[in-house]
Amino acid sequence: MHILIVEDDEVARDYLAKALREVGHTVDVAGDGLKGLHMASSIAIDVAIVDRMLPKLDGLALVQSLRATGRKLPVLILSALGEVDDRITGLRAGGDDYLTKPYHVSELLARVDALARRGESGNAESHTKLKLADLELDRITRRVTRNGKKIELTAREFQLLEFMMRHSGQVVTRTMLLEGVWDYHFDPQTNVIDVHISRLRQAIDKDFDKPLLHTVRGAGYSLREDE
Amino acid sequence: MDAPRRIASPDQRFLGILDTSPFRVAIVYSIVFACGAALLLGIVDFAVSRVVDRSSDDLIDAEVQGLREQVLVLSRSDFIELVEQRSQDQDVRGAVYLMVDPQLRPVAGNVPAWPKTESDDGKWIQFKAAVPFGDETREHEMRARRFKLPGGYNMLVGHDVQERQDVKNLMMRGLIAAVVLTLLLGLGGGFWMGRRILAQAGAISAVATQIMRGDLSQRLPVRDADDEINTLAREINTMLDRIEQLTLGMRTVLDSAAHDLRTPLNRLQATAEGAMGQVIPGSPERRVLERVTTEVDHMRATLDALLRIALAETGTVAREAVDLSELVASMVELYAPVSEERGIRLESAVASGAQVQGSRQLLAQALANLLDNAIKFTPDGGHIRVLLKSQSAGPPSAGPRSAGPPLAGPEVIVEDDGPGIPADKREAVLGRRVRLDGTRNVPGSGLGLSLVAAVTKLHGARLTLDDAAPGLRVSLQF
Repeated sequence: MHILIVEDDEVARDYLAKALREVGHTVDVAGDGLKGLHMASSIAIDVAIVDRMLPKLDGLALVQSLRATGRKLPVLILSALGEVDDRITGLRAGGDDYLTKPYHVSELLARVDALARRGESGNAESHTKLKLADLELDRITRRVTRNGKKIELTAREFQLLEFMMRHSGQVVTRTMLLEGVWDYHFDPQTNVIDVHISRLRQAIDKDFDKPLLHTVRGAGYSLREDE
Repeated sequence: MDAPRRIASPDQRFLGILDTSPFRVAIVYSIVFACGAALLLGIVDFAVSRVVDRSSDDLIDAEVQGLREQVLVLSRSDFIELVEQRSQDQDVRGAVYLMVDPQLRPVAGNVPAWPKTESDDGKWIQFKAAVPFGDETREHEMRARRFKLPGGYNMLVGHDVQERQDVKNLMMRGLIAAVVLTLLLGLGGGFWMGRRILAQAGAISAVATQIMRGDLSQRLPVRDADDEINTLAREINTMLDRIEQLTLGMRTVLDSAAHDLRTPLNRLQATAEGAMGQVIPGSPERRVLERVTTEVDHMRATLDALLRIALAETGTVAREAVDLSELVASMVELYAPVSEERGIRLESAVASGAQVQGSRQLLAQALANLLDNAIKFTPDGGHIRVLLKSQSAGPPSAGPRSAGPPLAGPEVIVEDDGPGIPADKREAVLGRRVRLDGTRNVPGSGLGLSLVAAVTKLHGARLTLDDAAPGLRVSLQF
């Protein structure tokens, strides 16, 4: 994947570029907003990571100009601001995801991955049936089966599984789940998400040989079929 | 524009007008004016009737004097003729005469009968007599003087005062009408002014409510007039400009502080994570780096909490309609599995349809902090109760924080049966970083309740800590 990083903090930018290259991405970097906007509009890029406060052209202005020219490439905004409603202004300006500094690189990688795949698979959201190996989920009838056997889930477990299936094969972090399934943006002090996941795991994996819901150490969870 | 607590029924609005100061001033003034009008008319009436009465009394006195002299020189029949003559005289309008014999039978004059009033000789009497008026007769008020004639005859000389009485009655009616009209005008004027003032005050208080809710761009309505309310509104608007500048300035300071702290933390995190990839897992160097990232996480959590508190305290957070019922229910649902894991029963009773204006994310964070705390401090196998009442019933529970205006919005209550907080420390835990002795082994930044307090304040709600006997009972009254 081709990723553009627009970030003026050299230390953070270099490390981020290195980390992205290590997992196999092609990375371009820009140190200010104007250069970033120029690169984003001239090079074929899959995902742009844009810092909110940039010299020459502010990060939000960059995203807005990009959107004004009709460019749909997914943008992840990085912010070092106070949060709460900065996230809303960031997303309103045209950002697709929002991450506050300091972040774990695993969190960022997972989000970049999710953004890129969203662009790739296009309308995964519009499919009425989601399928992974022998696990099937029907979004209309709200029926979940594995190997033809019906699995009973609570409404929230269903939403959780739906989210995981839409991101199958990717790493999904705890904050991504809290945001995507519950629409909350905070870090709970207790392991609330882990307990929800372990209940879901009980429901879908317990009676079957091959587990589908995996824990990714230090990052989050992944729903995938092990080869 | 929303001011749900201020929407009044027409009845209440009417009573509201009666309560305005212009209305009361108008009432007082119209009463004073009515009394003045009454007094003035009374004086005029008194003066006029005195002058008129005296002049007609003088006329009668003169007539009496004349007749007394005539009776001495004239024979009875001549005198009777004289009296008849004077009675018929059309020039003297309203003059009345009556001469009666000792049996009080009329002998001469234009009054049909001797009045029944008892009176002494020479005294003034007031009586009613029938007077021909076209084809019919009318009872007229008469004022007369009687005197004795020789031979037991009696004489009455007087004046028809009915006309004067009519004028007086008219004046009296005019007086009453004037008083009533003054009162009505005063009432109407007061009502109109009251409505105007109420409308202006209503507009001002609606704006003030919105400003208190954090929309600092709101300004009081100013009309194109130079009255005192408009002048006041302009001055308040200037003050609001200043407050907005200060608050936005604070927000800017907060943002740059956030930026200046998050950027180096991010570098530290990046450097540590980058170095981690180059050392062997399990080596002492790796453990040091892991320690660094853990500490960065803690610092981030503390920084996030502090920034959220500061942000909530500047009051510049965007507001929206928040479905509190949905929020509380989903927070309970989020925390239910983790408390079950600890063998804690998380019970809830959530009323539907409760709404507040505010920040959903901050309210969620505050509730999460309360639930985190409750789960942390409740012993295994304990209970946590979460209640949402859509409308508060009865007076708010007593406590040092329950002072202030009564709040009638929804109330969220989180109760646990943990150790609780001693009554004398409840104020203190809401301050920054207070952790009670014996809780230092429990993880947390110590900012949890401060954030709850700041978020509560931002929403104009009241936070009360109480004894749940045993345990802690936290109430958020909106």
